[in-house]
Amino acid sequence: MSRRSFLRSTALLSAGVAAVAAGLAPLRKLGEFGSVDEFLQKYYKELTPEEMKAVIARIEAEVERQYGIRPHVRDYKPMNGVEFVYALNLTRCVGCRKCVHSCVAENNQSRNPEIQYIRVLKMPNDGTFDVDKGDHNYAPKSVPEPGFFYMPVQCQQCKNPPCVKVCPVKATWQEPDGITVIDYNWCIGCRYCEAACPYFARRFNFTTPSIPKEQINTNMSYLGNRPRYKGVMEKCHFCTQRTRAGRYPACVEVCPTGSRKFGNILDPESEVSYILKTKRVYVLKPELGTLPRFFYYFDI
Amino acid sequence: MRNYLRFLWRCFGVSFVGDWRYYTWVGTLTALCLLGINAYAKQFVAGLELTGMSDQVSWGVYIANFTFLVGMAAAAVMLVIPVYIYKNEDLHDLVIFGELLAVAAILMCLAFVTVDLGRPDRFWHLIPGIGVFHFPGSMLSWDVLVLNGYLVLNVYICGYLLFCRYNNRKPATWFYIPFVFTAIVWAISIHTVTAFLYVGLGGRPFWNSSIVGPRFLASAFTGGPAFIILSLQVIRRATASKILVSDQDGQGHPGPGKAARDRFQRQATLADLDRLIDRLPEFREVPLEERQKCLAGALHLDVAAGEVLLRQGETSQEAFWVIEGKVVVRREENGRLRITRTVGPGELCGEVSALSGTQREATAAAAMPSEILSIPADSLNRLMKTKKLHDVITWRMGERLMISDRSLLILRSIVQVSMIINVFLLANEIFTEFYNSNKHDVSWKYLILGLKGYHALVPWFWSAMTLNITAMIILMLPLSRTLKWLNVACVLCIFGIWIEKGMGLVVPGFIPTPLGEMVEYLPTRNETLICVGIWAFGLLCFTIFLRMAVPILQGQLSRSNET
Repeated sequence: MSRRSFLRSTALLSAGVAAVAAGLAPLRKLGEFGSVDEFLQKYYKELTPEEMKAVIARIEAEVERQYGIRPHVRDYKPMNGVEFVYALNLTRCVGCRKCVHSCVAENNQSRNPEIQYIRVLKMPNDGTFDVDKGDHNYAPKSVPEPGFFYMPVQCQQCKNPPCVKVCPVKATWQEPDGITVIDYNWCIGCRYCEAACPYFARRFNFTTPSIPKEQINTNMSYLGNRPRYKGVMEKCHFCTQRTRAGRYPACVEVCPTGSRKFGNILDPESEVSYILKTKRVYVLKPELGTLPRFFYYFDI
Repeated sequence: MRNYLRFLWRCFGVSFVGDWRYYTWVGTLTALCLLGINAYAKQFVAGLELTGMSDQVSWGVYIANFTFLVGMAAAAVMLVIPVYIYKNEDLHDLVIFGELLAVAAILMCLAFVTVDLGRPDRFWHLIPGIGVFHFPGSMLSWDVLVLNGYLVLNVYICGYLLFCRYNNRKPATWFYIPFVFTAIVWAISIHTVTAFLYVGLGGRPFWNSSIVGPRFLASAFTGGPAFIILSLQVIRRATASKILVSDQDGQGHPGPGKAARDRFQRQATLADLDRLIDRLPEFREVPLEERQKCLAGALHLDVAAGEVLLRQGETSQEAFWVIEGKVVVRREENGRLRITRTVGPGELCGEVSALSGTQREATAAAAMPSEILSIPADSLNRLMKTKKLHDVITWRMGERLMISDRSLLILRSIVQVSMIINVFLLANEIFTEFYNSNKHDVSWKYLILGLKGYHALVPWFWSAMTLNITAMIILMLPLSRTLKWLNVACVLCIFGIWIEKGMGLVVPGFIPTPLGEMVEYLPTRNETLICVGIWAFGLLCFTIFLRMAVPILQGQLSRSNET
């Protein structure tokens, strides 16, 4: 190789390396990588109890490192003989959005960017019952406003969930108690489920969620309200950390008008069983065959 | 195996060699690629918030490009079907370019899907056997299978055929024909499966229509061949050189080197045939008496380097067998010369026009002092009665790099018919949605007319319509038989289809949301840079594939000139 061609190829090579390095420069801001354990973590349903313990310990440490507060993470399992059903009384709902905010607080949803599981639609009392006429961003001085009713929409916990069907890696599935959950450590972030959901119930973490330390709810469940990662899906899970421990979801508890009812449909004595037996209930978009476990009804 | 590695190594080496046009083009693409990598590095750190996507419009220009490019990849069959099913001769030499384009397009598809993932680090969850693969439930898992399968099929077919050509060996039917036919079905399947990604979503009425699959295929077979028409002309141009004075020597010579030939030619003998047989074992099958008979009128020529054996446009009756030396065949197209094949010892040239009695398609000249056996058409016909020799001669007839206007016009009719079907299917859909106005048509209304004061996509839709319909009209008029107008129509087709399938299909499916909310989408700068980077990457791949394939097809890069 002549001196000239050696110099020329060296110059070309170093220019190439410099260009690639400059191209990749933004990666320096990546901060800390996820651990190898996190990268290699197995699918939820394949974890043995011991492995689950180790995973939970790791997640608790991660949350403590990120938010500066020690959480209590548990892997709440569905209870035998329980199938959860939700009923919402549209006559009573006044559209105050207290459910939205209590849900955000309970479920450690990102405050910036804002992620909310419940969307309340202000609908005109014009006999059309058309969601396209719904107002998502109503902000009057006080609610309710005459001439309108309010329809909160969240995950309908379908018996035939389109989101579960489309997930290419089974990162979302339906549990025996009827709750469709997501393994935040398995989701690849393709957002196919979000496209498939007919109820706009799913939310994506377009960036790392941020929650002030003092607002963290430390009672966390693995498939529920533990803080999510950048690039994964999340959605309403009927507050698994509460309902699988015998409590009401946060939205039910906070509702000032008692519009929200929740319970076990397999128990004939439960409130929801009574409502389904005695009220005229309906579901959203019945023509899609999704069979929601979320029922709407009117008093009158 | 070692031969194959050596073949790959030489292909790799040749991809770094080119003229200034090649270096400029490759350099520009590499720079754009790096810009894209830079933008992706930013997105990797910050997350998909750097895109214009939202919970409401959760897929954007990445998936739009993905959808378009799956169509480009599938369109390779529009070359494969005429060649392998209808035995079309004109497209025969070009089918490999379609397959190489398919490989580049699939690589772009995979890149677009990857940049769309929120967690690309978890890609291994998608690998069957290692992760959890939701098959056959999820259409996305089907897409992973069919796309990667199509990639493997095409890489294998191209690699095998080029390797055989490199070794100057006839491809073994069983080693590639079954794969070619699998790839035909597979190509249809990749685009159908991609359509089903959308069609399968019952909650999105805009996509949930059974005509979307056929529309995808029709638009793919419009945009893909249109791209191939343009790229073939670029290849034709880039692989040709201006006609130099030295190429035109023999212009002053009387006929095909007659004066020179008189000096060095003599009656061919059985001994000459024996020397040829050493180079062409199949010849042994010919019985001795046949060999004797075919010597009638056969000449043995000693030609000097640069001497012309036959000239494009002439008609003459003989074919030329190279005993020793090398003959290069060049074809003049649009005022430029391109090497269509290189003929070495034991190989024939001029056989096609000798057998058919048609005009010479190209000019053949000795590249070095060579010994040639000139044989009349009658003798060649006689020899072709021996099956083995017949096979080897007909196989080599196909081994020319011809990019004729005729083949471009065949592709033109494919683009023409597909565009008509595409526009027709679209009209069907629009009629169904609009005539009996129901809930299904809100996204269509948003796309075509705007809805509730939102109309970001309206100009996109109407420009796609204008481009497509203008292209259709040009293609239906006889004036598109000229390359200039054909090229205009192709450019219009590509942009029209890109908009129709991208911004016009993926985005409006999300607007309004299933709860009636209106949120619009526009790609951000960073998102656009990533797209540009991936397109540059794909074109770079395609360029390098062509840089490797063309010299092999021309016979310039072969085992015989390994050092």
